[in-house]
Amino acid sequence: MAESEEEVDVLVQRVVKDITNAFKRNPNIDEIGVIPCPEARYNRSPIVLVENKLGVESWCVKFLLPYVHNKLLLYRQRKHWLDREALVDITCTLLLLNPDFTTAWNVRKELLQCGVLNPEKDLYLGKLALTKFPKSPETWIHRRWVLQQILRQVSAVGRNRKQQQGEVEQADGGRSQQLSDHLARTLHQEMKVCSEAACRYPSNYNAWSHRIWVLQHMANGNVKVFHDELSSMRLWVSMHVSDHSGFHYRQFLLKELITDTDPSTSPLHHSHAQANGELSGAEAAGEEERQPSSTTVLQLFHQEMELCSDLIQSFPGHETLWSHSVNGQRHVSEPMEVDRASLPDPRDSKRLKRGVQLPAPPTLPSEHSFVSGVLDRCSNPEQRRFALAYRKWLDTVIGQQP
Amino acid sequence: MGTQVKDVIIKPDAPSSLLLDKHADYIAAYGSKKDDYEYTLSEYLRMSGIYWGLTVMDLMSQLPRMNREEIIDFIKSCQHECGGISASIGHDPHLLYTLSAVQILCLYDNVDAIDVDKVVEYVKGLQQEDGSFAGDKWGEIDTRFSFCAVATLALLGKMDKINVDKAVEFVLSCMNFDGGFGCRPGSESHAGQIYCCTGFLSLTGQLHQVNADLLGWWLCERQLPSGGLNGRPEKLPDVCYSWWVLASLKIISRIHWIDKAKLRMFILACQDEETGGFADRPGDMVDPFHTLFGVAGLSLLGDEQIKPVNPVLCMPEDVLQRIGLQPDLLS
Ligand SMILES: [Zn+2]
Repeated sequence: MAESEEEVDVLVQRVVKDITNAFKRNPNIDEIGVIPCPEARYNRSPIVLVENKLGVESWCVKFLLPYVHNKLLLYRQRKHWLDREALVDITCTLLLLNPDFTTAWNVRKELLQCGVLNPEKDLYLGKLALTKFPKSPETWIHRRWVLQQILRQVSAVGRNRKQQQGEVEQADGGRSQQLSDHLARTLHQEMKVCSEAACRYPSNYNAWSHRIWVLQHMANGNVKVFHDELSSMRLWVSMHVSDHSGFHYRQFLLKELITDTDPSTSPLHHSHAQANGELSGAEAAGEEERQPSSTTVLQLFHQEMELCSDLIQSFPGHETLWSHSVNGQRHVSEPMEVDRASLPDPRDSKRLKRGVQLPAPPTLPSEHSFVSGVLDRCSNPEQRRFALAYRKWLDTVIGQQP
Repeated sequence: MGTQVKDVIIKPDAPSSLLLDKHADYIAAYGSKKDDYEYTLSEYLRMSGIYWGLTVMDLMSQLPRMNREEIIDFIKSCQHECGGISASIGHDPHLLYTLSAVQILCLYDNVDAIDVDKVVEYVKGLQQEDGSFAGDKWGEIDTRFSFCAVATLALLGKMDKINVDKAVEFVLSCMNFDGGFGCRPGSESHAGQIYCCTGFLSLTGQLHQVNADLLGWWLCERQLPSGGLNGRPEKLPDVCYSWWVLASLKIISRIHWIDKAKLRMFILACQDEETGGFADRPGDMVDPFHTLFGVAGLSLLGDEQIKPVNPVLCMPEDVLQRIGLQPDLLS
């Protein structure tokens, strides 16, 4: 289809407007996509809205993208003026078609900084882009920037409150409740966005590392959130036994639940002491109230290894599950390996290592008999390959530790 | 229901010899016949695209076929007031493209075409208090950017301008139980990130901090029955991940732990006999990115038709010798 430059101009401007109007007409659009359609149909817009799905007919994408792309670049070089509204519309169209165009996200960051856009609107645009491009690194990067803006706003309000303490206590209590509700909602929404992207693309590195970032920045020290995540992920990983990133996420949660606490009150510290019979009577008395938490962490590890063994037997031949086993063993046998490597002072490393070492379970012999059991019963060649590799790993890495 | 094996099967008629002339023609012609749409889609990474194309041409001793003046002018017009370099004209500057631009100028022995002092200031300005590097002024943190920063400065001989100790501390904080590295502390190990982090530790002289046996184990597990390497467990093999894993193994001196002959077969099978170029996997569409990593991988495996490649910077060794840069390998 040979179109003149002017015709393309008119066509594209109409399509950009159609997209903007679609969002006005239905603010609940929850998915975008390209509708395969090689030819334009007479007198019909290529933008199709069906329920909450927004589709673009494929024939128009090859006109649309270069046009909006070049327009934005001309603006960026100050060769062409665009007003704020046009910038919002153009970057929206552009990013839904090509979400890794970093500079377009940056233009939106600037619009956000001067108050033309609000953070929620951009989180929403990113969420839509991820329905079609669940890996898009730049979309995830932009999300983290927007979330940081929200966090900054919240902490600024917090500081203000401290300064004016005493005067507006009442009204402020309500405001601070609002803010923490808002943060909790945002956190919940991020988890949902991550889950959706994880379902759309297996072992989605960007989605899972974003999820970790969100917990580190928005739920730091909130043990309940970590526990909730751990239990809600249990079903998910059982249904996605090949998803290495999902299992890594569980390892992250478990590790955080152990190490995020102060060593002097760490449940792990106590379980170590108990296992070695080092508690004096007085100490033991003081330990009692903490007892539940120390057993909880141990239980978590037991449950994790059990879950893993069950899944290995139900779904033979998945490297992810064997690798999760390996990592579980590693946590148990040498939890602070990583920190030790980064510590320049060897005395510190000894202290750390001793401080967090877990008592024996699950033990090496039981892992060996698990492997033997698998090898005896199973004829799946992949499963055998992984089982043998795991046995070798137990012998060479775990078995040789002092 | 049987397990779906995540690997490819190499057909008996797959290419098994290296088609260097075809690849040189493919790269030389690339870009000249691109339509608007394709060009637009990838313009956000154009500077890196040029680096891939030029590096693979140089490895095949075909660099003179590319338009040196045009490329250098293009790079100049991509340097911004802040010193950083963008992927293309009108795009925003970023560490990723700053490194690509410096690499290209090193291939051409012409770093003075840009304002080097300003590049150094730009990189230095992106280092954070904890030692990490932001990719650009908007502040995203990633170990990839730590690599870009030190690689850029190493090529310019200006490593002393940043706080190297702090930078090392941050990268080590991204090390995992499996010996690998992720993009940030707590993130999953990933072959691409491992390449960046081992490369980073090589350039900063800190390779002894790696647990080479543990990491070597993880990297070797990436080899699949087809001979190809993947980037993480249960992913398909891919020529670009084959490079990242292989280069990391080379850096930590464990390259003999994998089956080199089988990997060579896999990489060769990813060539397109008609168009030239390499794809991610046998039978897929070729592109300059996988073409570079295919050829560079074969070079690391010892193919003598190709110039020796440096595993840390993915550049011809003779270029680095000219600069006087010799990144460490674990002894
Ligand atoms: Zn690839």
